[in-house]
Amino acid sequence: MVKYLAELSKLEFSDEELAKTAGEMTDIIDLMDTVKEIDITYDAVKDNHNVYLNDLRQDVCAASMPTEGILQNAVNSEKCFVVPKVVE
Amino acid sequence: MDVSSMKIRDMRKALDNKEISARELASEYISKIKEYDGDLKCYITLAEEQAYEQADSAQEIINGGNSKPLTGIPLAIKDNICTIGVKTTCASRMLENFIPPYNATVMEKLDSQNIVMLGKTSMDEFAMGGSTQTSAFAKTKNPYNKECVPGGSSGGSAAAVSAGLCAAALGSDTGGSIRQPSSFCGVTGMKPTYGRVSRYGLVAFASSLDQIGPIGRDSRDCAVILNAICGYDPHDGTSEKVPTEDFSAKIGQPVKGMKIALPKEFFADGINDDVRNAVLRAADTYKAMGAEIIECSMPSLKYAVPAYYLLACAEAASNLSRYDGIKYGHRAEKADSYEDLVVKSRTQGFGDEVKRRILLGNYALSSGYYDAYYRKALALRQLIREEYAAIFEKCDVIVTPTAPTAAYTPEMTSDPVQMYQADICTVTVNIAGLPAVSTTCGYDNDGMPIGMSVIGRKFDESTVLQVSDAFERDFTPIAPKL
Repeated sequence: MVKYLAELSKLEFSDEELAKTAGEMTDIIDLMDTVKEIDITYDAVKDNHNVYLNDLRQDVCAASMPTEGILQNAVNSEKCFVVPKVVE
Repeated sequence: MDVSSMKIRDMRKALDNKEISARELASEYISKIKEYDGDLKCYITLAEEQAYEQADSAQEIINGGNSKPLTGIPLAIKDNICTIGVKTTCASRMLENFIPPYNATVMEKLDSQNIVMLGKTSMDEFAMGGSTQTSAFAKTKNPYNKECVPGGSSGGSAAAVSAGLCAAALGSDTGGSIRQPSSFCGVTGMKPTYGRVSRYGLVAFASSLDQIGPIGRDSRDCAVILNAICGYDPHDGTSEKVPTEDFSAKIGQPVKGMKIALPKEFFADGINDDVRNAVLRAADTYKAMGAEIIECSMPSLKYAVPAYYLLACAEAASNLSRYDGIKYGHRAEKADSYEDLVVKSRTQGFGDEVKRRILLGNYALSSGYYDAYYRKALALRQLIREEYAAIFEKCDVIVTPTAPTAAYTPEMTSDPVQMYQADICTVTVNIAGLPAVSTTCGYDNDGMPIGMSVIGRKFDESTVLQVSDAFERDFTPIAPKL
């Protein structure tokens, strides 16, 4: 299970780390299982009265951040983001 | 001038009366940071040069007679709040060299008052933890006892305020990350109502729970900072269009006649005796002031920790999927393909606790488990909100311990389940989106601070601060000996 979750999470674990993490995850999931004891159902309609609905901005053109500023944190950036060569 | 114990209001007077210049004030703090922070490790980045430039700009404003409440006040900022041109690492190898190309909205607001930013404070990696021991760069120590943790995740901010290494600080609170370290370090910290302060520029952990707030020497200092950072922001779709107000307005008004509720589950087994007794003594103080103390119940507290971790980790798994090593953040050097690059960058960049929470979040969201865990946690969120609403029909504020114990040693943080359970006193406030303040209400047998939380109705920060301030006026805090 942990191996499958690691794949979903785009993470890699050595065999040793996997064994340690599996033990910890078992204990954590035991704690999470407490929520199964209570018989309640989520009501999405009711929830909308409590959660603030996203107040989206109008879709209008505006100045964006400068390209240099955006690229300054990308490693290997030239004038665009660089990814490993992809050949299908 | 000893700045260690000065409140913001005292500094304001001293600056405006020209008893001290903004540069001298900044210099006092920077000298103190250089003297003590090598050991305490509150800061990840010290912004000395910029701080002096900001101090000089603030002085011009002061000289022109146009100072605002925070003009020239030296503040520290948690390292998950984006600061243009100053590294924002989230205490993670993943963002070790990240320099934001923009400011968080709270920084724009603070800069509009010409604050002096001393630096960026340590925290648990990506705000995931309650000890500041998962920080990749600075495992902060508690100023009251350096063998103990400062709490977390805003442990650097709380310890810096406590040790007098800044006038006040910003933290962020997803499940108690402002209040619990404030409790451990003997300072006052406030988590505002969800939506009160813009989250734009706060590196996301769990978007439905995160909230930025102040940590200060007392409630009045927190009110001044909250006044500066609150308000609707079109950049944050979850910031609310509620009128801003002066959060100091009710401070000093008597609490006589107010109804204060104590939910019995927050005082049950598992809460340390010293903590329980200190909070109950604080309740007696309120009673002596003329407040009415009411006992109430919150049966859902039993499910609060798992519900919180399911929600928070599910959101974290989604939020942290953006770290792919391409746009920003750590990028693995030797990768054969796009997939390999993403996996290696994330594996090298994230620490153990962050990985654990991503795994748990993806578990709760994965096919076959979604209904049993994530959807059940959503149902519990509704239940917790309803129980708070029912309690607030009968009272003005709720008082609880901030944490089950005072600060502990780093060795105690090795068991993740034990650490998660220690969040029992704080997580419901985030789940329900309520405002709460933690303030010191006593000290345990070892002299470590004990925090009490005052919880209020949504957008009723003024009453929360009124009540916490009333106690502070009756309480003599003990400063840490550095």
